[in-house]
Amino acid sequence: MRYAFILLFIFTGTLANAQKIDADLLRIKQRMDSVQQFTANVILDLDVPFIKMPTKTAKIKYAKGKKMEFSSSDFVMLPRRGLDFSLNEIFKYPFITVDRGTETRHGKVLKVINVIPTDNRSDLALATLYMDTRAGRIAESEVNTRKNGTYNLLMQYAPGNSVLPTYVEATFAIERLKIPLNFMGKDTKIDRKKMRGMETKTGKIKMRFENYTIKIG
Amino acid sequence: MRSLLYAEMLKLVKQSKTYYALMAILVIELLIFITAYYQGSTILDLLLDNLKQSFYFEGTLLNGNLIMYIVLNSLWFNVPLILMIVTSGLVTDEYKDGTLQTVMLQAVKKWKFILSKYIMAVLFTVTIIALMMLSTFVMAYSIFGKGDLVVYINTLNFFKSTDAFHRICWAFASGTVAMVFYSVVSVTLAIFVKDSAKTWIAAALFLIITNLLLKVDLGVPALNNYFFPKLIDTWQQLFYFETNWLAIGINNAILIIYCLIFSTTGTYFFNKKDIG
Repeated sequence: MRYAFILLFIFTGTLANAQKIDADLLRIKQRMDSVQQFTANVILDLDVPFIKMPTKTAKIKYAKGKKMEFSSSDFVMLPRRGLDFSLNEIFKYPFITVDRGTETRHGKVLKVINVIPTDNRSDLALATLYMDTRAGRIAESEVNTRKNGTYNLLMQYAPGNSVLPTYVEATFAIERLKIPLNFMGKDTKIDRKKMRGMETKTGKIKMRFENYTIKIG
Repeated sequence: MRSLLYAEMLKLVKQSKTYYALMAILVIELLIFITAYYQGSTILDLLLDNLKQSFYFEGTLLNGNLIMYIVLNSLWFNVPLILMIVTSGLVTDEYKDGTLQTVMLQAVKKWKFILSKYIMAVLFTVTIIALMMLSTFVMAYSIFGKGDLVVYINTLNFFKSTDAFHRICWAFASGTVAMVFYSVVSVTLAIFVKDSAKTWIAAALFLIITNLLLKVDLGVPALNNYFFPKLIDTWQQLFYFETNWLAIGINNAILIIYCLIFSTTGTYFFNKKDIG
């Protein structure tokens, strides 16, 4: 009798928790989880005020449950955030969602939800997800983390029912550079006022994905 | 003129001073190379430290191109003095050994004689820089391999490996013009000073003052842009993300004009004054 009561308690507790997670988000997550592995070529354009970098290309390889792998013949800088297509970062620890209604962005009606973690171990503080519920995809997100600042993601998809984005734009805050004096070339002036004003800047990385090979499980 | 040049070349090849200078340049190059390796990793750590929070890095930046860039930074200050000592010796040795009078007793025109000295100084400088360029390229690329170059000039500029290689080649070319300028100046100084030790001091002083003036704001835009100390490190402009090729060309052309002014002045005065 006592075991039956405990089981009932666990069942109702799980049910209550599940009810707090948005059904559309769960559907999107399920769809993302169906991707077992994929490879793609990524074309990267970095837009950071104090960094000048030509367009770069890299190859990315993802396998479910493994760390994403990158390879390139050039030196490439890939964002730490913004390539988590499977939403694992969000689903890593328990959370609740709050429905914020709908919003029209780029001509699309998107469902807006807040993701609030309920576990202190989560680095996530608050995430706002803009979901294209009709296509079953995340269109935009604003993620506030406890340790790694805030970043925004904008995703675009090829027409049709594709699961993975063809374009991702990640916007993030970036600290100014600390430059060793002996590495300064001609005309490099130290403008302290300007440097103080540059403590943190907004950076953007634009990623175009091409030649996807996706294995759906 | 051809026989004069041949004679000058023979003198350069035969004198032990030339080989001492070559050895000194090689030692300098090797030392710069070793320090560049250690400097390179420290620089990269500092440059990329706060970018590590936002990015994963794929590929290495501590490669032959970065080493070459650091070598270029050190080279243009350390090498001119040795070049100036050797090239001024082309004239001062003639005064010291008394061979100048002997030559002038022959049917040799004074201006042709001194012009051959200038030409030989230029050829010697170009040969030395070419040898240095070749040896550093071989060492840098065989040990560290190729790769993208990162440079900080107001912004953090990244260049693809092939682009970096071309820029470094052009930087050597532009640096060579600056080195030729120093050599021409040292020959001119030798004409005026005559004594070798005194010429070395004058050449060292000229080098130091030029390097000090490089960073000094002279107040007048024309001086800041076209006074010779300001043109010495034109090669750095090749590492701006958007390269102003016209400005680089103009700067080097003006530096060549300065070379012509110094050599014409030297030739004129040598031609005018008595040999004694």
